[in-house]
Amino acid sequence: METLDLLMQGFAGALTPMNLMWVVIGCLLGTAVGVLPGLGSSMAVALLLPMTFALDPTAAFILFAGVYFGGLFGDSTMAILLNTPGQASAIASTFEGHRMANAGRAPQALATAAIGAFIGGMISSVLVVFVSPSLVEFSSMFGPEEFFALAMFAFIATASVVSDNVLKGLASLVLGLGITVVGVDSVSGVERFTLGLPELFEGISLVTVTVAVLALGEVLYIASRVRRDREDLQVRKAGRGFLSRQEFLEAAPAWGRGTVIGLPFGVIPAGGAEIPTFISYDVERRLDRRRKKPKFGTGAIRGLAAPEAAGNATTGMAMGALLALGLPISATAAIMLAALQQYGLQPGPLLFEQSADLVWALLASFFIAMVVLLAINLPFAQLWSKLLLIPKHYLYGGITLFCGLGIYATAASVFDLVLLLIIGIIGFVMRRYDYPLAPLMIGMVLGPLAETSLRDALLASVGDPVTLVTGWITWVIYALLLLVVGASAWGALRKRTQRDV
Amino acid sequence: MPAIVGAFSLFLLVGSALLDPGEAEFPGPRFVPVIVGGTGLVLAVLLAVGVLRSPEPVDDPTAGTYRTYSDFAALAWVTGGFLAFALLLPYLGWILAGALVFWCTAHGFGSRRPLFDVLVALFLSSLIYLVFGTALGLNLPSGILGGGF
Repeated sequence: METLDLLMQGFAGALTPMNLMWVVIGCLLGTAVGVLPGLGSSMAVALLLPMTFALDPTAAFILFAGVYFGGLFGDSTMAILLNTPGQASAIASTFEGHRMANAGRAPQALATAAIGAFIGGMISSVLVVFVSPSLVEFSSMFGPEEFFALAMFAFIATASVVSDNVLKGLASLVLGLGITVVGVDSVSGVERFTLGLPELFEGISLVTVTVAVLALGEVLYIASRVRRDREDLQVRKAGRGFLSRQEFLEAAPAWGRGTVIGLPFGVIPAGGAEIPTFISYDVERRLDRRRKKPKFGTGAIRGLAAPEAAGNATTGMAMGALLALGLPISATAAIMLAALQQYGLQPGPLLFEQSADLVWALLASFFIAMVVLLAINLPFAQLWSKLLLIPKHYLYGGITLFCGLGIYATAASVFDLVLLLIIGIIGFVMRRYDYPLAPLMIGMVLGPLAETSLRDALLASVGDPVTLVTGWITWVIYALLLLVVGASAWGALRKRTQRDV
Repeated sequence: MPAIVGAFSLFLLVGSALLDPGEAEFPGPRFVPVIVGGTGLVLAVLLAVGVLRSPEPVDDPTAGTYRTYSDFAALAWVTGGFLAFALLLPYLGWILAGALVFWCTAHGFGSRRPLFDVLVALFLSSLIYLVFGTALGLNLPSGILGGGF
């Protein structure tokens, strides 16, 4: 009951007219960026992150929640209408969703996706509210060894799962880790790798790297291809989303299954929502094959409902894991962590004690964001597709301008702008040669935690590495890690023999 | 890409070697960078070997029309515009520098109406200046238009 009281207080904090306005603005902005072709929710968050620093923390995070979920909604809208998923977690939705749209059932497809996302997000938010206090209690048992194990898990799992090529994933991780060691060492206070530049004493800002790699790198990549690829975007008509009773009943079990599949992935730092979306798509396809008349391949509503629910269930849970453990499971969550740190808040057990009002207002705003999104996505899908009419050169010109604005707003220095450009070029090269970006972000975010906890643990044990694998929690984590690596190796082997999707 | 990883790893290793660890105890400030740098170097070598053994041909739909996969002219416009923006920002001020980067990017992306773009660029950067600089209180430089630097 205590939890409910806290949540009610959170609602009281989030439902002030000002904060309500921020949720709505966040949802609109997030959807708008997510809807633009090729831009996903992580891009939305990365671009808008620096802008939020003008607000107070509560308002900023409420705005963020709106942008984050809005980006996911916008992503799937475009995945369905135009077959252009903004990021990997929307790819599974394109398979059946786009076929539905091609078959003239775009409104139904959009409604299925919106309701699925709503259900997945809602259930996970409820779970987060009730689970995070116990997660917090659990995480207070963590010492440096456990945190190091957790960070290693996140590193290896993302690097091996996200990319097809483990070497590329690890290389991306190394870059991210390497960036974090620049600056004054937090344990000993020695200044490292600064080349004597005073601007680097505080290290390279995560915000700069985020905007550089995710936003500017993308602009450069598109620039390098824009005059070569000729894909003419067609705007299809999408009216009001109505589901017939029969369609609703058909989609309902898929929404449920998708949510159940998505939930556990929210607390496993293995690269975010793309894996559960593919798993749930695969489950639906297998179930479909057993039916008398298989519908997959012709725009099966279940093949869209399940991944959407799974994706949002994972995202919702991920926010819980982020707040309670300080553990980002995806690039987008990593950016949120950066935002928290920018406000001097360290997610983890202490956050719930020290900034209870903020945390609960944020959790409450998840619910509000879901409702607002459902309200603006069901009737306005047609409107969103109008955004595609912005000419590409103005769109990307504006994004470049906003990258500059964002970084200048946080640092107010020319040095950071040049740094942004340099890292942006590296981001472009990575994209050009198919290197995954998520490991870099995770490495960058968790690098300092991994380093300090490793060294704390080793200092406490006078350099005895055995200390890293004592205690049952570390055993469990390393066992899980073996499991994940094994599973991805198995998956890679299987992919070679059987190509279906 | 292997070159970038390799160079960065070397930078970490050399930097660690030159670093004065002070009187820190065993896992000092050099410990982690050396591990990361070492791993990076090994990875760079492995990746380079991989590229040499099987250069991945990109399936380019427009192959034949252009010599390179990437459009370097467009890239040059965008990066050059951004660099100019970064370096000139304190002097030109937000409105002019912002318009500059917008125009360069739009041009790089193949816009064919340079004069009209100038208007759009100025309009957008002024709008941002108004909203973020004036209303939200971000400290954007006014540059020569404000007469003060």
